[in-house]
Amino acid sequence: MKLATQISLGFFIAISIDLVDSYVNYSLTQKVNTNTDFLTNSEVVIRTSSNLNRDLVDMQNALRGYLLSGDRRFLIRYDSGLSTIPELIKQERLLIEPSSLQISRLDSISMIHNIWLGYANQIIDAKSKAIADPALNWRYEKLFKSQFTLNAGKNYNERIAAIFRSFDQHEYDNRQKRRAALAASIKATDRFSLFFSLLLVIVGSALAFYLVRKIARRIDSMVKLAEKISTGDFATVNDDQTDELTSLSHSLNLMSQKLSWNIDELEKRNDELNQFAYVVSHDLKAPIRGISNVVQWIKEDIQDEISPAMEKYLDIIPERLKRMADLINGLLDYARIGRSKFPKEEVDVSVLVKELADVIVPKEYYFTIGDLPVLFTEKILLEQVFSNLLSNAVKYTSTDDGHIRVSCTEQAGVYEFEVSDNGIGIEEQYHGKIFEMFQTLREKHDEESTGIGLAIVKKIIDENGGTIRVLSSLDKGAKFLFTWPKNET
Amino acid sequence: MKKTILLVEDDELDIISVERSLKKIGVDYELITAYNGIEALDKLRGSQKHAQMQPLPDIILLDINMPKMNGLQFLSVIREDPALKHLKVIIMTTSGEEHDRSATERLGISGYLIKPLNFNNNSRKPDSMEGFVQFHLRHILGNLD
Repeated sequence: MKLATQISLGFFIAISIDLVDSYVNYSLTQKVNTNTDFLTNSEVVIRTSSNLNRDLVDMQNALRGYLLSGDRRFLIRYDSGLSTIPELIKQERLLIEPSSLQISRLDSISMIHNIWLGYANQIIDAKSKAIADPALNWRYEKLFKSQFTLNAGKNYNERIAAIFRSFDQHEYDNRQKRRAALAASIKATDRFSLFFSLLLVIVGSALAFYLVRKIARRIDSMVKLAEKISTGDFATVNDDQTDELTSLSHSLNLMSQKLSWNIDELEKRNDELNQFAYVVSHDLKAPIRGISNVVQWIKEDIQDEISPAMEKYLDIIPERLKRMADLINGLLDYARIGRSKFPKEEVDVSVLVKELADVIVPKEYYFTIGDLPVLFTEKILLEQVFSNLLSNAVKYTSTDDGHIRVSCTEQAGVYEFEVSDNGIGIEEQYHGKIFEMFQTLREKHDEESTGIGLAIVKKIIDENGGTIRVLSSLDKGAKFLFTWPKNET
Repeated sequence: MKKTILLVEDDELDIISVERSLKKIGVDYELITAYNGIEALDKLRGSQKHAQMQPLPDIILLDINMPKMNGLQFLSVIREDPALKHLKVIIMTTSGEEHDRSATERLGISGYLIKPLNFNNNSRKPDSMEGFVQFHLRHILGNLD
């Protein structure tokens, strides 16, 4: 899966959890609002019911007062009740849930009240007629003593009161239930909220950790691969993922393989070339030896008969052959570096340099050495380096006040050796060229230089992981500085 | 009786070198030459082209790298031949290869000489093959006497 997809998916999961949390909180708010509405409504219901109750009682009292006193003023409350009570019942009906138990209670109240009203109207009518005409008082008396007193009075009150009690009780119970439900809901929401917040933290951290770790690990593996490649170890990474980094690791692997292949190929070619150079130089030596022998024989056999000029010519041949042999030996040496493994041994560099100087540096030179270390290294290679550098110094320094010095300074992990002379020096423009093969700055026919010595030196030092540089300018002498690994015994 | 040397060598110069050296040492040895192993066998056994050597050589100087039949093959043939297997053989070669040396030593040889190829760096004059041959011939022939 692509990394971008994974990151987006992570965000999506986190946001989803947050949304669920928000929704739970939102629905709680809704519930609280509903409950508030309900409570408000319930207040109105109770208030309306108590108003209704009050008006009913007022009507009764008004009736009772009128019947006892015959004063019509008592009937003011009765008359107002006639209009307010149906109105209140209507209001109440709208406030409470339709088709509930409360509706039937209200219906009962309304019905009982209407029955009572029927009697009340009858008796008021009888009373008023009795007041106007006392002859009719008997009818009132009869009515008053019979049905109304027995049925309507006490019965009416008790039943209405009972209904109102249960009506209000129902309302209070309802409120209680609602309140409990709301409290439970708030508690549940709190718990949900806490749970989702924790979930969000945990899931978010886990996702972040997973992604960061994954990306870091993959980048790390590639960085390690690149480091390996830079040290010449052409490994590959095993990448079974498919995302944006896959093409990078794929390219890295491809690069590593190609580099490895190219270097193998290069080494093979180099080996072939070295082998070729070795065989060629080896086979070139046999004819030279042959020619040299024949010239020798000619000289021996006709020594007494030849002119001095002829003798001189015959001497030139072995001289030139010697030069050719030197060149071939140089090529052989050059080809042998890196082709052969040389044994390591303890080398006292000051002894080595002194012995070489005895052979190479003529007595006319002022030859000095500084403090030179004892190394554990390939003696033959170090010898070849010093031998070439000393020969060079002698070659390009005149015997007249010629100074040659070998010294050494210690550096981190390496020794830096210095071979210096006060000879003719080397112009700066040639400093890069002198280490190439067959570069000599003298004329081509200079028999002393084959142009291969410094190439050998450079190749040996390169193979040893060192560096060589030259500090020189024309007529100011030359300093060759090279480093050699510090494998002390 | 005059002693004989069989030189099996394909290089004309090396043959001349041995001839001149013998002359210089001043000993009277008969030098028979063969350019390869086949010719040498012909001379040792006698064939249509060559009469058989009489007597057999006191010593054989044998090169290794030769056309047709090389020194190693020649040596193994004569070591199988009852009439020739007792002959003294000295290898003279430019080959410094260890396997050549060990192979010939297994077949039985009296000496293994590596012809000089290197030139002495301290002198103008290449090391002479002739000096080498003289030195060793003197030694070898001295031991024969």
